[in-house]
Amino acid sequence: MAVWACRSRRKSGTACAVLLIAAILAAVPSAPAALRNIVIDPGHGGLDVGAKGKFGSHEKDVTLAVSLKLKTLIEKTMSCRVIMTRDKDFDVSLENRAAVANNNNAQLFISIHANGSVRNKAHGAETFFMNVNASDEETRKLAYLENTSGELDKRIPDEAQDEVKMILWDMAQTAYVRQSQRLAEMIQEEINAALKIENRGIKQAGFKVLQGVACPAVLVEIAFISNAEEERKLNDEYFQNHVAEALHRGLVRYLKLFPQK
Amino acid sequence: MPKSTRAVLIPILAVAVVGLAVFFFLSDNRESIKKARPGAGPTAEEGTSPADSRPKRTVNLLFLRDESDALIPEAREIVADPSSPAFEAREILGELLKGSQSGLLSTVPPETKLIQVYITKDGTAYVDFSREFADRHPSGSNAEIATIYAVVDSLAYNLKSVKKVCLLVDGEERETLAGHIAINHPILPDFSMIAAD
Ligand SMILES: [Zn+2]
Repeated sequence: MAVWACRSRRKSGTACAVLLIAAILAAVPSAPAALRNIVIDPGHGGLDVGAKGKFGSHEKDVTLAVSLKLKTLIEKTMSCRVIMTRDKDFDVSLENRAAVANNNNAQLFISIHANGSVRNKAHGAETFFMNVNASDEETRKLAYLENTSGELDKRIPDEAQDEVKMILWDMAQTAYVRQSQRLAEMIQEEINAALKIENRGIKQAGFKVLQGVACPAVLVEIAFISNAEEERKLNDEYFQNHVAEALHRGLVRYLKLFPQK
Repeated sequence: MPKSTRAVLIPILAVAVVGLAVFFFLSDNRESIKKARPGAGPTAEEGTSPADSRPKRTVNLLFLRDESDALIPEAREIVADPSSPAFEAREILGELLKGSQSGLLSTVPPETKLIQVYITKDGTAYVDFSREFADRHPSGSNAEIATIYAVVDSLAYNLKSVKKVCLLVDGEERETLAGHIAINHPILPDFSMIAAD
């Protein structure tokens, strides 16, 4: 019984992923070629408040404030369409955030967060790109996919299809890791130049929200909300504007370097 | 159906159901292990009595200092059982949950209980923590990364047979630990997280 329940849960997840992939495939041809789409993902929202500060601030509020400022800056200065995964205080699943990017044929995905640590002293900004922590089995399947990409549908028997597509969806970001790293470097450089907070550099980690994104994607931890001094800064409008400007400069630099997706 | 037949059939059916469950549990160690939790196997008694003559070994448990992100090893004695890595894994995690004895910071919420540990033939340790492990976690990328690698590296660092770790919360797979880092797949150890010393 327990075994069966476990399997059926996996199946529904697979079906969901197949639907999402179908949606992506449908969306690709209709997207206008010239206008670039940038997806901004304000971390958390709704019941998911994210990390909490000692003075009561919630990560979800800070991330939304900075995201909205970044949106305004991009729309003012660039010929880009900005899509927000949320523009108010509500829940969005991590999978749906990636789906927003893929369904809109995004050229860039930037997820904005504020960090939290059990160490009171932890402070500074860092930019993450995805760590590919694939198991042996997943690696084997990815290798199989790469070798058969053209004839995928013909060569994989029906019953194996769902699972292969699930892996493909789970691992969509693997194809963009190198570009994501460049984007992370440029954003982190701009943050370092603009903010007088410690440079924690670029890092890799297994962020769920980045895994399924099929374009260059980064996650920025602006500062530590768990650090009293940085919690105060995060709530300061001047600091928020400063961060948004730095993120904006990073995006502009990256898009100049890679005009096409 | 006559009452007497039913009285005989019900126990037989019950035995069959239990038998099937055991069969599935034994025959499929990848999927079923995530859900099946057979009557909470007894772990070693907490705190060894003065008369405890069982063999011991020293392990290194991973904690944090307020100054840096690097995980700091703290030596601790556990009851040794070279024939059962799962037993030693339970000992290691039991000690990790007790927290540091030298004032280091714990990365795991203090209310967390260890429910069970299995190690499969391919070297995957399935670690099942009570829901406090995720629900009482403070959230934040930095905190989640520290928790995950304190657990994964504490196991892999001390047990050669552990190659990767699957974290379960109250018998269930979770998407992330507390909103950031994915824990819905086996996690490889990363010894670069441990302070060079
Ligand atoms: Zn966050």
